[in-house]
Amino acid sequence: MKLLRQLCRDRFAALCLCFLTLVAAAGLLAPLLAPHDPTAVQMALRYAPPSASYWLGNDHLGRCVLSRILYGIRPSFLWVLVALALSVAIGAVVGFLAGYCRGWTDAVLMRICDVMLSFPGYVMTLAVIGILGVGLDNILIAFALMKWAWFARVIRTSVMQFADADYVKFSRTLGVGHVRIMFKHILPVALPDIAVISSSAFGSMILQISGFSFLGLGIQAPNAEWGMMLSEARSVMFSRPELMLAPGVAIVLVVSAVNFLSDALQTALDPKLFASRRETRPGLAAAAARPGREVA
Amino acid sequence: MNKSILFLLSILIVAVLALAGCGNDAKNDAKNNANGEASDKALVYATSKDINDMNPHLYAGSIPAQGMVFESLVENTKDGIKPSLAESWDISEDGKTYTFHLRQGVVFHDGAPFDAEAAKLNIDAVQANASKHAWIKLSTKIVSVDVVDTYTIKLALSEPYYPTLLELAMTRPYAFLSPRDFKNGGTKDGVIGYHGTGPYQLAEHQAEQYATFTSNEHYWNGAPKIKRITAKVLPAGETTFLALQKGEVNFIFTDDRGADSIDVASMTQLTDSGDYRLVRSEPMNTKMLAANSGSANSPIRERAVREAIWYSVDRETIGRDIFGGTEKPADALFSPNVNYADIELPKRAYDPEKAATMLTDAGWIAGKDGEVRTKNGVKLNLKLYYDANSPSQKTQAEFIQSTVGEIGVGLALVGEASASIASRRASGDYDLLFNQTWGLAYDPLSTIAAFTSEAAYLHTTEGMANAQDLYAKIDAVTVSADETARRSLYGEILKSVHDEAVFIPLTHGNVTVVAPRDLQGIAFKQTQYELPFEQMYFE
Amino acid sequence: MLHYIGNRLLIAVPLLVAVSFVAFLLSSLSPSDPAEVVLHAQGVPGITEGLIAETRAALGMDRPLLMRYGDWLLSAVRFDFGDSYITGKPVWSLLGPAFLHTLTLTLVSAAVIMALSVVLGVVCALHEGKPTDRAVRGLAFLLTAMPPYWLAALLVWFFSVKLDLLPTNGMDDGYRSFILPVAVLAIGYAGIYFRNIRSAMLGNLNEDYVLYGRASGLPERKITLRILRNSLQVAVSVFGMAVPIILGSTVVVENLFAWPGLGTLSVKSILSRDFPIIQAYVLVLAVAFVAFNTLSDIVNAALNPKLRRER
Repeated sequence: MKLLRQLCRDRFAALCLCFLTLVAAAGLLAPLLAPHDPTAVQMALRYAPPSASYWLGNDHLGRCVLSRILYGIRPSFLWVLVALALSVAIGAVVGFLAGYCRGWTDAVLMRICDVMLSFPGYVMTLAVIGILGVGLDNILIAFALMKWAWFARVIRTSVMQFADADYVKFSRTLGVGHVRIMFKHILPVALPDIAVISSSAFGSMILQISGFSFLGLGIQAPNAEWGMMLSEARSVMFSRPELMLAPGVAIVLVVSAVNFLSDALQTALDPKLFASRRETRPGLAAAAARPGREVA
Repeated sequence: MNKSILFLLSILIVAVLALAGCGNDAKNDAKNNANGEASDKALVYATSKDINDMNPHLYAGSIPAQGMVFESLVENTKDGIKPSLAESWDISEDGKTYTFHLRQGVVFHDGAPFDAEAAKLNIDAVQANASKHAWIKLSTKIVSVDVVDTYTIKLALSEPYYPTLLELAMTRPYAFLSPRDFKNGGTKDGVIGYHGTGPYQLAEHQAEQYATFTSNEHYWNGAPKIKRITAKVLPAGETTFLALQKGEVNFIFTDDRGADSIDVASMTQLTDSGDYRLVRSEPMNTKMLAANSGSANSPIRERAVREAIWYSVDRETIGRDIFGGTEKPADALFSPNVNYADIELPKRAYDPEKAATMLTDAGWIAGKDGEVRTKNGVKLNLKLYYDANSPSQKTQAEFIQSTVGEIGVGLALVGEASASIASRRASGDYDLLFNQTWGLAYDPLSTIAAFTSEAAYLHTTEGMANAQDLYAKIDAVTVSADETARRSLYGEILKSVHDEAVFIPLTHGNVTVVAPRDLQGIAFKQTQYELPFEQMYFE
Repeated sequence: MLHYIGNRLLIAVPLLVAVSFVAFLLSSLSPSDPAEVVLHAQGVPGITEGLIAETRAALGMDRPLLMRYGDWLLSAVRFDFGDSYITGKPVWSLLGPAFLHTLTLTLVSAAVIMALSVVLGVVCALHEGKPTDRAVRGLAFLLTAMPPYWLAALLVWFFSVKLDLLPTNGMDDGYRSFILPVAVLAIGYAGIYFRNIRSAMLGNLNEDYVLYGRASGLPERKITLRILRNSLQVAVSVFGMAVPIILGSTVVVENLFAWPGLGTLSVKSILSRDFPIIQAYVLVLAVAFVAFNTLSDIVNAALNPKLRRER
């Protein structure tokens, strides 16, 4: 909460947070907000320009673009959030275990992480799609499968810092249970770190999932997703460029907001850390999380 | 250092400008690009898949490419069977022996002579791999091939078979490859080269990138005017469109799976630019959905479900809106102008209410608004496979998904590569898939023969109520020598697949060519799989 | 140093083994029976239970997992990944050239990214807080948030179609083929990496030697040069990190530009369910990833002795 308060001091960051909250809410409430059924095909309205009842016009099947953008928040944003939460959760459990228990538990878990981190993100996702088949669910599975190792790495490091703290040692000598210590003393202090790393992964995950949909490997028709809307619009980008605008702008806005928020989080957390943390950007996961690779 | 900032800035500005200015003048600016290619008299066509293994005795290769390089004994034309590598032929009284008099002086691209020996080796090589050719019934009828003299061969059949010449005319498998390219004395284990006798020879092949064909200056029918043809592998859609606009490729045509690499609107845009012209063949085939009636547990095995889907596909709208009026809706598997197909069949026009009633009558209970119907706890969910490289198939699929959705059928769409769809068709691992009849040269004969072929439509037809009866009729029709008997058998066959609604027709497809404005001599063959490149020339 | 290299290589070996095991296991993740898949792929009519069992035996799938893994690894080491289901050609004959094409694209992009990051990083650090710094950072921010395919479509349209300067696709037009794909990759990644360089520079600006140099009246240019030299190290490590990451993330760009590399091949294989290629693709990229990471660690350690002691 302190973090949040600190964050809100940065007015622009607060704005981003509001925006993202609004986007999430719009996604959840899409059925109430959307003016039309996003899958209702009306061939008579093919490529119709924006009108009073279809604010953003209609796509190649005469479907309402605005409604599709709103419904598209779900796979493009909310489901990514779920996958992120899932992989952070797995990563947190592993990271806590490794960082707290140390010893061979740590060694084994970290070796497993090493292996998982040896697969470039896209490659593992493609492999999972290749074997389980095309679809949004499989990409989300792949994301959760892939990203936890990185989170585990970072969380472990931050847990290790705090596990040695005096008050933790004190609790331990008092005979407080391990689980209790973890929840009571370590989780709260490690939480900001977790917030930072997960937020910095979020932006690139959004871009990646839309990229997969764009290649036709992601969500399947008739569901709306921003990447797929862009892909559909691309085939008419010369005759109907405006169709590329709405989903493109939606992605840019959301990803920018997420990235900015993540930066602001880091600054709020510890301005000095900014330099070294910055490199724990998504794609850099494997390299950056490795000890001894601090750049600055 | 300021330069790099400028660079980045300019990119952003470009990005913004580009979005703002898209569409307005793209056409004008691409001007002359297409003609730039034309000046050196080369054709570059875009294709979504590599030419692959060109072995003419197998089925992996791209047919248009094989058609340029390899030739058959005879050719199927609008006016019937015409000579090609065989100058003339005699058929014995009993219809069991065919004697071919080969064209003299023909050489393969590698210099080997095309003679009776080479012809025999080729046909034997095809026969040695019989299991792959079951769809072409001739392969089961050939008993022996004998060399009579240097330029005469004799083909002995086990029984009279009226489509012999038709099947010999097909692009594959009875096409001729230089025996020097054989591996282990045959072709079934692969070949070491692709030397045919056709108007073009393969000059260079970069797998998954491009293949270049150069004219065969010693072609027996005169060297072709266009000296160089390149097949460039490009993803369909806007990448191909941009390449056409820029003139990096200057030719596209409907591929052998019936997929156009750009949509109708893009084609119009290209022709409006003045650099390209559009040539459409007569309707050649029927595009359709093949339904897996032989499926063990999918709802699609029920005739009522198939019929309901038929009734709920709005073919008028598909033809008018998705194909921009360039394709006419189809009411049956074959258009009436196809041989033997001019019969009375009940029409199933777009009628969603009737479709819904049919499903209800068949026990599929409608759910609450918009939900998928169920029967004994089974949901009416089906999967439709479409070619991921065909923009129009995807649009049609989405459209069909929405109209059948309205009557409570849940249709999931899966886009895959055409090879994968073909293997699904062969293994029966599908509910519905996009397909097309095989075109004038093959319809109805080969398409119907393929009803019984595992590699083709066996799974589509095997769940029909009277499947065995149907197969018996198909066997009978190809050997029947009597024209009236044949006509009535074909009529019965077509009626039963129509009644069972295993092929749900969509539109009559044609071959569409987008070519440089000054390219002349664009014609079509009797098959949708090849183009007579050797007749084309620049003005 | 040799000791470090030895150590680092020793770590890489078990990692490679583990990575290859995961790649191997992927095939057993598949919901369908591999024997059945093979039979379907070969277009064998009439698949029976007996035939499946026979094929399983022929494929050696009735043997223990570890033995199968051993065999698979042995042939993989010899670049024998079996034949593609679709084309029937050996997998490596397709994968090998594609890998080279992707590697070329990656190395060129990484070099451009490094150059761009250094220039932008240094410029921004020297103008910290000034409009130049803010403008570049803001722009980088926007560009990194742009979906690469969106950017690519716009660039192609502008530079290839409108200005007619560059090819729209493929790699058969010499260096000109590289410009657009590299630009799209570089814009995305340079926007991230230049911040590393900037931070490193800023960190250096406050180092003692700078203060000391200023105090002792060293010309400002010389100090800047000194800082630059120290920051170059960061650039090299950025390069080292970028190579393996880009190697695995060219998928979208390759597909957009019809680049005949691994990204195009893998998507094609997925769409045609060509499992041997997918499996080999995963293995090859993972091995390359480990190899490049190891290499970049070693190079980094050589440049920065401090790192050798850790780990």
